[in-house]
Amino acid sequence: MKRHMQATELARDERFVRISTEERFNDPRQVPREPGSKRRPGPQLRPERHEAPDAARAMMHAIFTGEIQALEGAGRTCWDFEVGADSPFELKLDMARQCWDEARHCEISVKLGDHMGTEVGEYAENVVLFEAACNPDPVLRLTGVNRALEGLAIDVFNTMREYGQATADPVLEFCEDWMLADEVTHVKMGSDWLRRLTENDPERRARALEFQRVVDKLFSAGGFRGDEDDSPVKLARRFRELAGFTPAEVEEISQLSRQARAEADAAVR
Amino acid sequence: MAAVVVTPEAFTLVQFDAGRIAELVAEVAGRVGLPADVEVRVEIDERVPLGRSRLTSLDPITIAVQGGAFENAKVPRTLSDRSVVDVVGRLLFRAVDRLDPAFADAPADEALTLPQHTAWDAYAVGRCERVGYAPSKPRRLYHFRNRHGFTDTADRVFERLWSADGLTWADLDAACAETAATRP
Repeated sequence: MKRHMQATELARDERFVRISTEERFNDPRQVPREPGSKRRPGPQLRPERHEAPDAARAMMHAIFTGEIQALEGAGRTCWDFEVGADSPFELKLDMARQCWDEARHCEISVKLGDHMGTEVGEYAENVVLFEAACNPDPVLRLTGVNRALEGLAIDVFNTMREYGQATADPVLEFCEDWMLADEVTHVKMGSDWLRRLTENDPERRARALEFQRVVDKLFSAGGFRGDEDDSPVKLARRFRELAGFTPAEVEEISQLSRQARAEADAAVR
Repeated sequence: MAAVVVTPEAFTLVQFDAGRIAELVAEVAGRVGLPADVEVRVEIDERVPLGRSRLTSLDPITIAVQGGAFENAKVPRTLSDRSVVDVVGRLLFRAVDRLDPAFADAPADEALTLPQHTAWDAYAVGRCERVGYAPSKPRRLYHFRNRHGFTDTADRVFERLWSADGLTWADLDAACAETAATRP
């Protein structure tokens, strides 16, 4: 079986339609509504908004495709690297456990889609998450996937969990809460393996953390995920700390999101 | 067939065809029972990728939508016939209701609560299905539960509204009171 697959090689059935990151970011509609008005990173998921149920449906579908890609990413990490000092058997075992979790999340997401009236493939799929899982260095890949991607998952699941609470939707709240707990574990695994594999290689650890910064900034999506009052997806500080992020690391992600937002603002001026 | 005016006539940020939209709207207007001499205006804000849609006037009947409301979610910035029909069918049935004396007591749209909006939408979209369109019932049920509660009572009321004909504003208001009484 081939090793180191590219995102373009991911298998999907005819229900799925893919949109590239370039297409998403080059959408000319991402401009201020009126001359001089401030760009907003996107609508917040607040029940009092008329369109909130549809926004929740769209976000749930994005979570579903994200779970497929997380499964594919963890699965590839099990396969792409030989057992050795760089990727011990125990690391692969953790990735296999993560595959099990992600497969369960895919099934939960499909059922949540049914619950919310969403069809599989109803929205375009962006594969930026899997792209972060293509790094040929296992340490960098693990950092990109388990700390950046799964960290984003913590923020998104917490946003959806809060929406479920606010709308008194017991199914959504319960499912998101359980998936959130798994994501905290996945981030913690990433943090632990990063520390262990780079214990005697500070230069490699620095490169891995730099890669994580790049991915975290990309995943901030022009401020869509951030720490501002109007951020559609907020940094879930408490859950990130439970997952092993230090307060300084969370603050750094917050800062990266502010940078991403400033750059997106500058691009549409 | 109703006269339909779509603005803008040409789009620069999205690949929408005003002629196609007018054709679809005219067909929907006929199916919901609007008189052939009525004028329907559709104002599209193509700058906004979000999906807000509103009935802003009855004379002439005017629908204002953000561009995302007519968009194909699988292929962003392109037109979806199904989205156009979904949005316009729901709002034109509301227009038909508002022109009926049985809805004379209904508050203006801006004054409707979210449960009232959603109850009216369930009633309108159910009728869209019966005039031959294929709206997503599970999607409307989810909207309804968001506003009326995830309860057996809410589901029962939704089914009643979805399959109803000839309701009055008082019926819709009573449906909202019924779900409110059992909301946690």
